[in-house]
Amino acid sequence: MALWGRVVTDALGKQRKLGKRLARGGEGEIFALQGRPDVIVKWYYPEVLDKRGDELHRKVEAMRELRDSDMTQDVCWPLIRVFDDRHRWIGFAMYRARGVKMGFLAHALLYERYFPNLDRRQIVGYLIRFIEIVQQLHRAGICIGDYNLNNVYCVPGSGQVTLIDCDSYQLRVAGTFYPCPVGSPDMTPKEHQGVAFRDIVRNPQSEAFSLAIVLFKCLMLGRHPYDIVGGDDPVRNLRRGNFAYGRGQRDVPEGAWYELWSELPEAIRDMFVTTFTEGANVPSRRATLAQWHAALETYRQQMDQGECARRLVKPGGPPSSGGRHVG
Amino acid sequence: MATYQLNTSSDLIENPSPRCACMLVLDTSASMFGQPIRELNAGVQEFIASIKEDEMAACSVELGVITAGGRVTEQLPFTTAMNISQCRQFNATGLTPLGSAMKLALDRLEERTAAYRKAGVAYYQPWLVVISDGVPTDDWQAVAARARSLAQQRKMVVMPVGVEEADLDALGAFSTRPAKRLDGLKFREFFLWLSASMSRVSASASTTAQIKLPPTDGWDSI
Repeated sequence: MALWGRVVTDALGKQRKLGKRLARGGEGEIFALQGRPDVIVKWYYPEVLDKRGDELHRKVEAMRELRDSDMTQDVCWPLIRVFDDRHRWIGFAMYRARGVKMGFLAHALLYERYFPNLDRRQIVGYLIRFIEIVQQLHRAGICIGDYNLNNVYCVPGSGQVTLIDCDSYQLRVAGTFYPCPVGSPDMTPKEHQGVAFRDIVRNPQSEAFSLAIVLFKCLMLGRHPYDIVGGDDPVRNLRRGNFAYGRGQRDVPEGAWYELWSELPEAIRDMFVTTFTEGANVPSRRATLAQWHAALETYRQQMDQGECARRLVKPGGPPSSGGRHVG
Repeated sequence: MATYQLNTSSDLIENPSPRCACMLVLDTSASMFGQPIRELNAGVQEFIASIKEDEMAACSVELGVITAGGRVTEQLPFTTAMNISQCRQFNATGLTPLGSAMKLALDRLEERTAAYRKAGVAYYQPWLVVISDGVPTDDWQAVAARARSLAQQRKMVVMPVGVEEADLDALGAFSTRPAKRLDGLKFREFFLWLSASMSRVSASASTTAQIKLPPTDGWDSI
């Protein structure tokens, strides 16, 4: 779709020109706005608008009602309705997130390129901030639902964290329930596996499970808690609570991963073990957001006081020089 | 035919990305001589370059290449895209032993997924792309049945692509999806589509979810 330079209008009919396309998602595209480098526009695909444009519009309007100044700073919240040149609603404008996707931080081979001199203290700092933002959303009755490291932006060299793609969040406004219609099985707790995402009602315990996977992946530089040597795929392991690290230590993947794990404070390791073994099956056994927040704060203090190492053990070197030739 | 062996076992240990194995089985028989083989070579080069542009995909996609031209040659054993430095040009020569090439491809894919499981590396459904401009000149029915059955069990995505006068029925027998015919010699468009598909697969947070692929109208014809 060649939408560059197309004119969109706000609810008052004020015209703006779109800039370059920045991203393509499952439901729509993200565009820059000419003359406003801090603002971006989400334009839903025509087929999505045809199918459930009214539903999306109602949800986005409900979100606009919920906004408060804290939230709009930490989350790319829908701020302004956007219409096409024929005055049809096509999406919304929001602030643009700064920084780098958390997916690049949680990757043993890529993090150094984006986060030079990253250490454990900085990772823990981003995670504490991330938990605080989720807690703030929870207080407003909002659940993230679709936890995805590519929807969390971290600013290298600072502790700043911003969440994007929030129009999928689950919320309840004035008695109306808006589900989170998307997700991925690798991040979804057992009790919600096999159910269509739009039929799931997320709750603090399901959120705590998915959030724990995000924490694990960051602290473990990209490993998923349910990757297991000789085992099944992560989803099958998740359903069985088949967590390799910790008690018994069977089937930890080869390499420096166990070293990364064993450098975590015991309190944090215990929380992961409980959440990913007993907690896989029994939601009430999962560590809560408040418990994670407190444990990570303590960990940060321990690093500041020299009781815990800030250094990251590096499981991988840079890509091998030379590489492989075909032929 | 020198292949510089990398320590690929360390790659499975150090790189935490879930893998998407992508095996290309390419017909490089004599009938591909001239413009077709040149376009095919350019397409493969562009494929590698464009996957490497997407760093997440470059850590995730493992590419293997087998050619069937006179004889079956394993041009590239499975290598993570970030570790591929260059790709030699293929020559067009001889008959089309596509049956043996596909058998080798299936064996290699099975070995590779076994290595993933052993190393504790999660993986997406592997892709097997087969491109031919003719008919296999060796036995192919048994291996076609094997490939089709793996596709039916959703253990593999098999994507047959026919060029020019290719026998689409024979190619389609390798998969549960019908073979597509390339529009003219739009190899580059096809490989850009393949690279965009690989990017989508490797950006997905889930190794088990269905991925919506980009439209194929840039390269296929009816």
